[in-house]
Amino acid sequence: MSRRSTDALITELVTKAGAVRPLAAPLWRGLGTIVLLAFAASTVIALFGDLQGLSARYSGRHLLMVLEMGAMLLTGVIAIVGAFFISIPGRSRLWLLAPLPSLVAWIGLSGLGCYQDFLRFGGGGVAAGDSMTCLMLLLGGGLLVGLPLLLLLARARPVEPLPVALLGGLGAAAASAFLLQFFHPFALTAIDLGAHLLGVSLIVAIASLSRRRTLS
Amino acid sequence: MVSKEGDLTIADDSDREAGWGTLLAAAQRGDANAYRRFLEEILPFTRNVARRKCRSEALVEDIVQDTLLTVHRVRHTYQPGQPVKPWLATIVVRRAIDANRRQGRIERRETWNPEAYETFSDTVTNHGEASDSSEAVARMMATLTPRQKEAIELVKLKEMTMAEAAAASGQSAGSIKVNVHRALRRLRRLIEGVERE
Repeated sequence: MSRRSTDALITELVTKAGAVRPLAAPLWRGLGTIVLLAFAASTVIALFGDLQGLSARYSGRHLLMVLEMGAMLLTGVIAIVGAFFISIPGRSRLWLLAPLPSLVAWIGLSGLGCYQDFLRFGGGGVAAGDSMTCLMLLLGGGLLVGLPLLLLLARARPVEPLPVALLGGLGAAAASAFLLQFFHPFALTAIDLGAHLLGVSLIVAIASLSRRRTLS
Repeated sequence: MVSKEGDLTIADDSDREAGWGTLLAAAQRGDANAYRRFLEEILPFTRNVARRKCRSEALVEDIVQDTLLTVHRVRHTYQPGQPVKPWLATIVVRRAIDANRRQGRIERRETWNPEAYETFSDTVTNHGEASDSSEAVARMMATLTPRQKEAIELVKLKEMTMAEAAAASGQSAGSIKVNVHRALRRLRRLIEGVERE
């Protein structure tokens, strides 16, 4: 049961249509967003970051620090760029899988750091640190990064909002976790790691659940 | 990278697709004639994809119309120079999925029982009443604004969610909600007026 004739609909759409500005290429939109985020993050880190704490936390394990933070950053960058790509109809859904290798590396390296702490400190390696603070910082950071990101993604008015929200949420969570490293001068315990994973999952879930309001 | 939906093309008709790209790019610049030609030329391809993806032939034209509305809403996302078919096919497939879900919801909740609408055994009596009722409804619907009418049709008659109706109409979800509310209030007043008479 068609509500009106297709020809009439075309006439109506043509009458309503005006000039529109095509969106820039998703790669440039994604990279532009990352540059803006990097600028904002550098300012916050320069003003409030605890670089000595970060160095102390990874004392003697700087390679692990570089790899772990690199994996976080890569996950965030790929997820954010992927979200911009997938918000455009016809782009490959493989972007959904693209952040997985770096995500696995991130979780694996965090687990390795946690295990090393357990070997060094014994029971202290699995005890609750400042996990609640960590979780709150992660969620706050995710919100700060995620909201403007979702608004930028919404400009494409995605026809399939869920994958966009998933990738955007993961990107925001990874960026927030990366930032957190500069404000988190504690040894990473298993509970902290759990709080990280919970925070990342919550940010992705919030982004997905709010997709109809934010991306439609 | 382009998606597999681009594979729904029947033949390698890249010339025609390049023509679509040129028309759509011109439409983005505000060329109404190019936009009309584009919308008319994509109809066979859109119907073809819709037919492959939907469960019922009766849904095809609805999917085509929903696709046209979505194309209108997201035409700014087409990048001049890029292939049109993967872009368009993704939209058609998405609208077909929505239509199938909607149809599934309706089928789960409703049972077809034409006798339920009969008030008298003599069918002629019912036909007369139905004709009067539909004329009355049509008269009442005519008093609504176009946006209210569209909102009512999508949400109440086609049973779309607010988000689906927003996607199909180009109105925001908030605007759909307000228009449905106002339309219902207006129709209720008209019905109450008829009953008092």
